[in-house]
Formats: sequence, C-alpha cells, structure tokens
Amino acid sequence: MRILLAEDDAMLGDGLSAGLRQMGFLVDWVRDGVAAERELVSGNYAAAVLDLGLPKKDGLDVLQSLRRSKIATPVLVLTARDAVPDRVRGLDLGADDYVIKPVDLTELGARLRSLVRRSHGQVQDTLRCGAVLLEPASRQVSLNGELVVLSTREFDLLHVLFLNAGRVLSREQLEQKLYSWGYEVDSNAIEVHIHHLRRKLLPDLIQTVRGVGYTVPRTSESA
Amino acid sequence: MKHPGRPTSLQARLLVLLLGLVTLVWLGAALLIWSDARHELDELLDGHLAQAAALLVVQQTHAEDDAVADAPSLHKYAPRVAFQVFHDGQLVMRSANAGTAPMSTRNRGFETVRLADGAQWRVFVTRGAQRDVLVVVGEQTDSRSSILWAVLRSMLLPMILALPLLGLAGWWAVRQGLAPLRQLSHLLRQRRALALEPVDLPNMPSEMQPMVQALNELFERIERMVASERRFTADAAHELRTPIAAIRAQAQVALGAGEDQPQRDHALQVTLAACDRAVHLVEQLLLLARLESVPAKRFSSMDLSTVARRVAADLTPTAIAWHQTLELDADQPCSVVGDEMLIGVLVRNLIDNAMRYSPDGARVLVSVVTENGKTVLRVEDSGPGMTGAEMSRLGERFYRLLGSDQPGSGLGWSIVKRICDVFDVKFETGRSSSLGGLAVMLYWPDAR
Repeated sequence: MRILLAEDDAMLGDGLSAGLRQMGFLVDWVRDGVAAERELVSGNYAAAVLDLGLPKKDGLDVLQSLRRSKIATPVLVLTARDAVPDRVRGLDLGADDYVIKPVDLTELGARLRSLVRRSHGQVQDTLRCGAVLLEPASRQVSLNGELVVLSTREFDLLHVLFLNAGRVLSREQLEQKLYSWGYEVDSNAIEVHIHHLRRKLLPDLIQTVRGVGYTVPRTSESA
Repeated sequence: MKHPGRPTSLQARLLVLLLGLVTLVWLGAALLIWSDARHELDELLDGHLAQAAALLVVQQTHAEDDAVADAPSLHKYAPRVAFQVFHDGQLVMRSANAGTAPMSTRNRGFETVRLADGAQWRVFVTRGAQRDVLVVVGEQTDSRSSILWAVLRSMLLPMILALPLLGLAGWWAVRQGLAPLRQLSHLLRQRRALALEPVDLPNMPSEMQPMVQALNELFERIERMVASERRFTADAAHELRTPIAAIRAQAQVALGAGEDQPQRDHALQVTLAACDRAVHLVEQLLLLARLESVPAKRFSSMDLSTVARRVAADLTPTAIAWHQTLELDADQPCSVVGDEMLIGVLVRNLIDNAMRYSPDGARVLVSVVTENGKTVLRVEDSGPGMTGAEMSRLGERFYRLLGSDQPGSGLGWSIVKRICDVFDVKFETGRSSSLGGLAVMLYWPDAR
C-alpha cells in the first residue's frame, strides 16, 4: 500500500517512514503542506499521514482543500495538538482518524490498514477471492488454506487488485499504486508479477482485459 | 481607604450631604426671615405708637378738664400698651398700667427703656404745639418678640415635619441614581473566572463610561495574556511531543530492523540525537521559566568583553567544523550591569543563531564597543539576513524560520528578549553594513 507521509520534523519523519516501510507500506515522505497537497491530488496513495503544523500550508488547510476538490483519500492526522476542539475540528474538516503524538508504530500501521480497508468498502480484515485468502495485517496469502510464499511486490499487487475487486486497473494505475519515488519501473514489471501470481496461485485468478488492464472478479464477502 | 466617622457607602454619603445642605439652607432662610420680619414689625409698630401719640396730642389740645383721667382697658393686649399725657409737667391722663412717673426722660422720639415693672418698653415721646402738652406712649417689647416667634414657628414647624419625608425621598432618589453602579457590580460578581468579554450596560450614565472603558481595556489585556499563555502551552506540547514521538518511532524501527544492521544503527543514532534535542528544549524551557521570576535587583557590575571572549572561545570549535570564521572585536573592557551567567546565555544565543542560520564558510563578527557613553554589543553575519516580517516575529516563542532545517527549539529569541528585558537592554535588528547578513545590536543603558 502506498502511503504519503507529510511531516516536517526530520527525525520523526525519518522514524515514521522507516517504521512503516518495515511493516510493508510503500512510503513517500514530504515535508511541507504544499507538496502534500500536490501529491495527494494525484490520487496514487491508499492513505495519508498528515502532520498539522506543516510549513507553507497548515495540515488542516491541506485537508480542507483536498475535501473541497472531492479527493477521498483516507487521511490520518498525526499531531501534538491534543485539545478536544482541535480534534473535533480536524475530524469535521474531513480527517478519517486523529492520532496524538507520540504514537506506536504498529498501531499506526493497523489504523492505516483499517482506513484503507474501509475506504474500499471492506468490513473484514481479510480479503478473499474464490479459494485465495489475503491477510493484510500479517501479509500472508493462502490458497485453499495453505500458505503461499509471495514476494513483497507480488503481495502488494495482489492486495491492490483484491481491494479493487470488480474494477479494471490499467498498468499505469497499478504502477502508480505500487512504486514509491525513486524506483525505475521496468515497462513489463507488472506483467511479470501478474505472471508469477497466476503461476503461484490460480491461472484464472487475475483476468486480463485486453487493451485496458487487469481485474479480479468481485465475490461475495463470505470468508 | 477608610476614614473613621465618614460613611463609606456612597448612598449614605450623598444622603447626609443632601439633608445637611437642605437644613443649612432652611436655617439661613429662617434667619433672614427673622431679621426682615423684625425690622418690618418694628417699623410698623413704631408707626402705630407715633400715630397713637399724635392722636392723644390732638385730643389733649381740645380737652379742658384738668382732672387726671384713667383710660379704660379695652383689649387683652391693653396691659402691654400704656400712655401718659402731661400738661406743663402735670400728669393729666394715663392708661391704667402706666405709672405716674414719666416713662421716658427724653423730650421727643423713640426710646427703649426698662420700667419699674421690670419689663422692657418701647416708648415714644412727643409734644403738642400748645399748652405744653407732653404725650408718652409705650408698648412692651415682649409683644414684638412673641409675634416674631409666632411667625418663625409657623414657618419652621412644617420644615421640621418635612425633613424626614425629604430624607426618605432623597434616599429613594439617590438609590435610583446609583442603580447602574449596582447593576455593574452584580454583572461583575456573576462572571466566571476567565469570562473576559467586555462589559456592556444598557443606558450607561456618562460618568461611568470612563470606568467601564478602563475595565474593558483591562479585560482585553488579560485576555491577550491568557491567549498567549494558552498558545504557549499548545506550542510547548507540540515541541515536546515531537522529539518524544521521534524517539519512540526510531526505537521501534531499531527493534524491528532484524538483520538490517545499518538501519538499526541509523535509527539508534537518530534516537540519541532526538534525546539531545529534547534535553536542549527542556533546558531552554526551564531557563525561560526561571527568567519569568528573576529577582529584579540581583545584578552586579561585570565586564561584557570578558563574557563575549569566553562565549566566542566556546563556540570556535563549532565554527571551525562548519568552516565559518568567528571574529571578535572586544579589546576594551566594557563594564555593564548584569549577571555573568545570564549575559553569557544571551551572547551565546546570539552567536549561535548567527552561525546556525548562515551557510558554511560564512563570517560572523562579534564586537563590543562604547558609543556615546553607551555599551553596544553587535553580532553580524554574512548569511541571508531576514525580511522585515521575519524580524517582527522574532521572540515569539517557538517561532522558527520556515524552510530552515536547523534543529533549534524556537525559544532562543524568546530567551534573548527576556534577558534583555531583565537588564533593561535595548534590542535592535537590521542588515549588517559590513557583512550583508543579519545584524543584532544590544544597547546597554548608561552605566552609572
């Protein structure tokens, strides 16, 4: 899952991005409000962690203008402002969660997963498509109850497809959701990963819509 | 302030004043009426005496009998009035209450005498043109006094009766007049401790407006102070929580690094740096808190040049590490009033700031000079300087220049300003004419 981290403090930002990466998140880190807004407008992020006291543009202002332009990316506000009116204002302006510093990294990860899940209309913490079960928290995938070992990238790709079950995602969309800054993406990287997933799981799990992209069928929520 | 014996209630004071003044005016009026009435009465009654005497003279000029006649007493006032008529020194007629001796020794005119009966009499003497007629008419002065008393009584009695009524009416009127004051005190008493919105009374009398206005201004000042304290608490929470959050996150990263040794090392390094920052911040906050209550007169005379030299020596290694040139121009001893520790903190903050916000290889010049009898400490640098807006915000607690990556606490300038206030030092910022960057000037008051 690609996450945008907006935090102006170098030490904290460094710690948060390293910690979230350890948990398997793809993290892009910006240090001011203007950059945060510019990146979030692109819509490539599954969620954002937003500090409020950002230089150039305050976090709450960023949040407000995002929601005004109908950008629904889940936003977790991470701040030291703990007064109740601040929290209320943050949530009213469109924050999906409001967390006071300091925060436990595992809790932050869980909250982000929960935000992403809910933003895709999922209720349960596991995703299922036919015989394939995906557990985002433990980053495990099983086929008919047996664990299947996937690479990080393969897991992320499957996660994105499962979250968007029933929708067709183009190669470019998948690339943007899977690669954070600084990665040179091979033009056929997605195809290679799809190929591996089909081989490791089921050949007909991921369908190719010729000229458009890839999709997994939407199934009932029964796990 | 309480004066013994003076009523402290405004209402009682006004009432006493009012009633006292009314009584005084009444007494004055009574005195005036008394003297006026007496004068008029004297004239009137004297006129009557003279008239009566004239009548007797006319009558006696035509009377022939020589027997002494006693006139009958015809009125209850008659005993108070008396007359005698003499012909050639012989008493020929008198009222019953007049003795045989002449009531007056005078030849003509008015006289007030005490007669044999012990009473005081007003006597008028006149002579006829013929036969040597002498007429003496008298009247007891007592009667005049009793008339006057009657007049005064009839005037003062209603006044005395009216006084309590007037007091009651006055009490009510004063109470009505003071109603806005009571309203104000009621309004203020009802307030919560930090309710600082301005007081607004409908139909406020103009006399109260300056007071209420002053009160509102006071509220405004307190409100600004409270708001600033609240902002400080919020900012301090933010500044303290951020390094702690960083320490926690980095420690967790180190724990979760597993086989990744470089990542663990990096996380632990940052953890230590964040701890240092938290310690620095706490020290700055404590210093600021201590400065809030520095005893104002604990200062001694000290040499500013020595302090500047010591601080510059302390900071030289850092300057070398950053390839900066730190120059000191403080050859002459400059005695100022201050505290060595606090002035040291002040100078260190200024030089530290100049170095931090100037690029590598920059020059920082510190000079201590005496200009026009005033001691001036100047810290200049060749850095980017500041805009006017940035300079005006210096000293706001936790204000940091945007885009600067320096891990300052944002409290340095607050501390500088506070120490300057303590020692009455004037603080100025501007652009350095020699180095082009920021110049900070501190002017000490004339040392005496």
